[in-house]
Amino acid sequence: MIGAFDGNEFFLDPSRCIGCQACVQACAECGTHRGVPMIHLEYVHRATGVQTAPVVCMHCEDPTCARVCPADAIKQDDHGIVHSAAKPRCVACSNCVIACPFGVPKMKVELDLMMKCDMCYDRTSVGKKPMCATVCPSGALYYGPSEYIEKFRREQPVNEFQFGRQTVRTKVNMMTSPELKALPFEVLDFLPWEGKDFDPFELSRAGAPDAAAAAVFDKTP
Amino acid sequence: MRLPNRAALIAGTALTLATVAGIAVGSSGMRHFDPALTGYAIGALMAAFALGYRFTVWAQRPPSRMYFKRGFELMFRRAAAVAATPSSPSVAVAPSPRAESGDEASPKRTATGASQPLFPHGAGTLGYALARNFVAQEFIRRRGGYRWIMHLCLSGGCTLAFAITFPLVFGWIHFSSFPDNAEMYHVAVFGMNVDSFSVHSFKAFIMFNLLNISAILVLIGLVMAGWRRFTDPGERATQSFYEDIVPLLLILAVTATGLALTVSYKFLAGRGHGLWAIVHMVSVVALLLYIPFGKLFHMFQRTCSLCVSRYKKVGEAGARAHCRRCGEDFASQMHVDDLKTVLDELGFDYRFEGAKGEVHYQDICPACRRGLLALNQGRTIGR
Amino acid sequence: MATLTLPEEKYIELYGPTPAHTPAGGWNNGEPDKLVKTHCCFCGVQCGIQLKVKDNKVIGFEPWEEFPVNQGKLCPKGVKRYMQNDHPDRLLSPLIRNESGFREAGWYEALHKTANAIKDIQAKYGKDAFAFLGGASMTNEKAYLNGKFARIALGTANIDYNGRLCMVSAGAANRMAFGVDRAANPWSDIPLAKVIILTGTNLAECFPILTDYVWRARDAGAKIIVIDPRITPIGRTADLFLPVRPGRDSALANGILHVMIERGWTDEKFIAEHTTDFDKVRQLVKRYTPEVTEKITGIPAKSIIAAAEMWGTAETSMLLHARGIEHHTKGTENVLTYINLVLATGRIGRPGCGYGTITGQGNGQGGREHGQRCNQLPGGRDISKPEHREFIADFWGIPEPELPKVGLTACEIIDAIERGEIKGLLSISFNPLVSIPDSERTRKALEKLEFFACIDFFLSETARYADVVLAGSLQEEDEGTVTTGEGRCVRLRNSVSPPENARVDWKIICELAELLGKEKFFKYKNAGEIFTELTAASKGGPIDYSGMTYEKIEQNMGIFWPCPAPDHPGTPRLFEGGKFHHPDGRAKFHAYEYRPPAEDVDAEFPLFFTSGRVVSQYLSGTQTRRIGGLVDQYPEPLCEMHPLLAERLGIKDRDIVRVVTRRGEITVPAQVVKSIRPDTVFIPYHWPGKKAANLVTNRALDPISKIPEFKVCACRVEKVSDAPKLAAAGQPIPLKSK
Repeated sequence: MIGAFDGNEFFLDPSRCIGCQACVQACAECGTHRGVPMIHLEYVHRATGVQTAPVVCMHCEDPTCARVCPADAIKQDDHGIVHSAAKPRCVACSNCVIACPFGVPKMKVELDLMMKCDMCYDRTSVGKKPMCATVCPSGALYYGPSEYIEKFRREQPVNEFQFGRQTVRTKVNMMTSPELKALPFEVLDFLPWEGKDFDPFELSRAGAPDAAAAAVFDKTP
Repeated sequence: MRLPNRAALIAGTALTLATVAGIAVGSSGMRHFDPALTGYAIGALMAAFALGYRFTVWAQRPPSRMYFKRGFELMFRRAAAVAATPSSPSVAVAPSPRAESGDEASPKRTATGASQPLFPHGAGTLGYALARNFVAQEFIRRRGGYRWIMHLCLSGGCTLAFAITFPLVFGWIHFSSFPDNAEMYHVAVFGMNVDSFSVHSFKAFIMFNLLNISAILVLIGLVMAGWRRFTDPGERATQSFYEDIVPLLLILAVTATGLALTVSYKFLAGRGHGLWAIVHMVSVVALLLYIPFGKLFHMFQRTCSLCVSRYKKVGEAGARAHCRRCGEDFASQMHVDDLKTVLDELGFDYRFEGAKGEVHYQDICPACRRGLLALNQGRTIGR
Repeated sequence: MATLTLPEEKYIELYGPTPAHTPAGGWNNGEPDKLVKTHCCFCGVQCGIQLKVKDNKVIGFEPWEEFPVNQGKLCPKGVKRYMQNDHPDRLLSPLIRNESGFREAGWYEALHKTANAIKDIQAKYGKDAFAFLGGASMTNEKAYLNGKFARIALGTANIDYNGRLCMVSAGAANRMAFGVDRAANPWSDIPLAKVIILTGTNLAECFPILTDYVWRARDAGAKIIVIDPRITPIGRTADLFLPVRPGRDSALANGILHVMIERGWTDEKFIAEHTTDFDKVRQLVKRYTPEVTEKITGIPAKSIIAAAEMWGTAETSMLLHARGIEHHTKGTENVLTYINLVLATGRIGRPGCGYGTITGQGNGQGGREHGQRCNQLPGGRDISKPEHREFIADFWGIPEPELPKVGLTACEIIDAIERGEIKGLLSISFNPLVSIPDSERTRKALEKLEFFACIDFFLSETARYADVVLAGSLQEEDEGTVTTGEGRCVRLRNSVSPPENARVDWKIICELAELLGKEKFFKYKNAGEIFTELTAASKGGPIDYSGMTYEKIEQNMGIFWPCPAPDHPGTPRLFEGGKFHHPDGRAKFHAYEYRPPAEDVDAEFPLFFTSGRVVSQYLSGTQTRRIGGLVDQYPEPLCEMHPLLAERLGIKDRDIVRVVTRRGEITVPAQVVKSIRPDTVFIPYHWPGKKAANLVTNRALDPISKIPEFKVCACRVEKVSDAPKLAAAGQPIPLKSK
């Protein structure tokens, strides 16, 4: 019998994501929430580009969602997994949805219930891999031994985030530059200050591909 | 949590004393108190203390306290008045251009906020929420028909059983035969005769068998719940013995031993009745003491849902919070502001500041937070 | 005369597409009886997957992590592929057309009606007046059987398949350059490459699993160059992105080679020892200076030089392409000019060095190897070569003169039907109404058929025109082999039997052969016997499977051909030691001058139109438009256009626009995005009827391979001003888009 997690960890690298939604489709196959995907996958800003943001629950060491729950409905287990709200307790107040720094919990209005990613607990607790990370074709979601990541990836994992004044430590790892010990997180740079035309990619990455580089109408033969 | 928690001790003690007083007064100065039920009464008093204590500890937590506080406030205030009173200066933040251009939320606000300015006071919401959430348990029906029937059987059966046994134990209801006719009974409630009936009547049959009826309801619920716990892959993965199995076992013990009593006096001429009575009492007291500390405490915690219903209704009509990044309406401003307070009380500080200004992460919608995660990560590695 | 008898809504109501959202037995459908290790039915990667089977129904899936190609990874189509077998639209018995659409029929009646119609038509108009259209999503066994059935039972020359719409130009180019038609390298060479060119391949959406291979190469320091008119998901993070103007691919490749030759980034030793005709190319590309190339392709000269430098100086490299350069009237030329880039560096036939075309169809590779093409016999043999004809006629036991000659290709068959030369058609797993360009003409052709029979598991839009529909089998309802895009022959295991009165495809074909009096050629007890015959037929041919058995394939998780002997391990990498498959052992350079597409932009139609896929849909959508989760992901086609263009035309995101070409028009919502060239619009092609991108595409064919020019034609775009209602009628936003 293979034990829970078995030395494996979850690694997230949104920059690799191709937005294919294999994770979303596979997430709905997970036993703890069959038919209802919990992973988030959205375009960051489709009008300007195709970057997509896959987000699983990061499983915070000190989960904000659980702390703001008025009904004690969100529990963290001995493995550090933060579970969906306990069905009898959840009062569907959405505190967790609004407070989670990663935007993870989903309010199922029709069920009066918060549900969230629990790292496929039905699978990971018996030594299987989470659905999303098993199927992910780009490596944006990876579940396995950290030695693999250290050996084969150029980016390296951190599990600390600085949200302004708040430090958040998580069970799930985020891939970033090897020099960094925590993921620096900035919001102010990405706000539409002074009514400026909103283009997050201009702000985030110089030299990003430009489909209009030389494709000007007048030059079309 | 500091222990001992003074407020909780006081609440526990008060609830215990109130129960004692209830017993004393309700049983007409212990005249109708049945000494055979003393064990149950003591168990109930212990449970009352634990319940008062536990409830207070829970209700003092910042998020729970916030909802109870708001629940009381909003109950006695007009929704529109709440909406018009900014609860923090951040409402004054200029909405983003997107919000001005008219997103989905704006018409909603006009319709319910301005042209129909007044909500009825909170009583309507409260009554409605009570009927819908506690009696009909409508939210469980939406989670699944099977679970709804299961839960109605369990909660209905238990409630019925407690509604009969507590008044009996406390001496609030008292049956006595007519002095001249052993086949006719008086029913006394709080010492006053309210009814009388013949032991051969249908009414009598129902009255004497109510506990058995409740037991059957509970058994149906238990079988359904047990089946689900054994077969549902999701439940099997996430359930815990203490939280999910123990309450079922306790209820099963109470029900089974209770039925054993019936079987004993009806079919076995009272054989084993004494033993079963003791086992039954022990199981009932165990269940009572489990309630405040396990899964079953949810029946008290769900009172919070009453506050939430009102809170949501008022929030929908009031000022809306628009995301500082995308401008979309994502919550009520009251909710966002209250969460900031709660976060402060819990010791979280999600404020960002820089040359351009300051922003609280609560002012960014969840979808943008997910996008920002990708943007910030991509930036560190040039993608 | 096969005109439709019912309105479209009625067909949809009766036969779908119905987007099914829940698996067989509901979401809590319990523990499976068994897990069957098999493969995904979509695309040429053929990912390994385990299907959960309960009570002879496919109820779910479990990743198959031991299969080396995908190691459990899947795309959304793979995840939901299990939802077809217990689908409400599944055809459960043969159908015969009547005044009220179709009626259910018994097999005896349906098969006899079909066989009699075939005999009548052939008696009246000649053998070749009855055509056969096959598909490249079917097993090797069926591809072989289709070819044999057409040549022996039907005796027609006109058999072709829908791979003609897919990668025949690459196949032709491969044979011309290397003497053999197969990807030169296994995918496992991709992570070893230091530079990867991805040209005309929306890799992340059409072959998502290969994204992982590319990322593994990048983890080891590789650079990638992406050439595409759209910033595709893999293009977004490319080290160099070249937004080529549609239809200019061969000019770009010539331009890059020009810089490489000028700067000395070619391997002259390799060229001298292992290739021919480089001088012609050297001469040709002299004119393609970066400036000239910029003018043609719309790519800045400095990017062309950067590409040449990156590619020219690489230590190891892979070049991968797909339909983007192949779907052209010069598709074969495009591929050959890119192959020139590979041959000029000598980086082929070594670990991490090579080339590949990525096949898009489930059996895109195997489907084109075993004789279901009009010009080909089993074993990749040429139907025009006397010695090849002799071999196969002998093998089948028929006189050589009875073996039909070269027939018409897929699009030409439709053209011939339209002209009234072909009167009858039997088609299997092919939905030409959606997949062939200029759909209006396809529809008219279908209406002209005197008899049309279809073998299929769902009633495709084309099958609505059929006189007889024979309820066939899904991939999981049969067994056999497929050959993946890297040339690996893998084993499909039987998961369930066809539901109710549906039958396994190969049995239907054998039964028809029997009714046509040719039973002695089609005595198979199971698919394995067909495979044994197929491998024997391939012995000594260009595509040699003769050393393969089911057991061997299973044990090795697939075998790469050529595998000419039982003890031969197969050949994952071709051309090792610079040995190519032409008689002289050399590879051949081809010098092709750039020429414009069949229809270029002009004042009247000033914009380029191009089409392609989305990740959640497969080909004509017969299968994937029936799977609810996939439909939700991208419900309906959108017209992608750049904000610069949209602004000129006064169009905003989600406005309804009309795209007009010389052949027709399509009205869809606009998706205004910066991820496409401002002079180009894009609409994916998976939808039928009024939403079919192929209403506007051009059926001009590549003279060499006869592939149609899907990827470029001229259009104009206008805003439909009276259409706000259309927009409100649930225009989907696939992902939250802000």
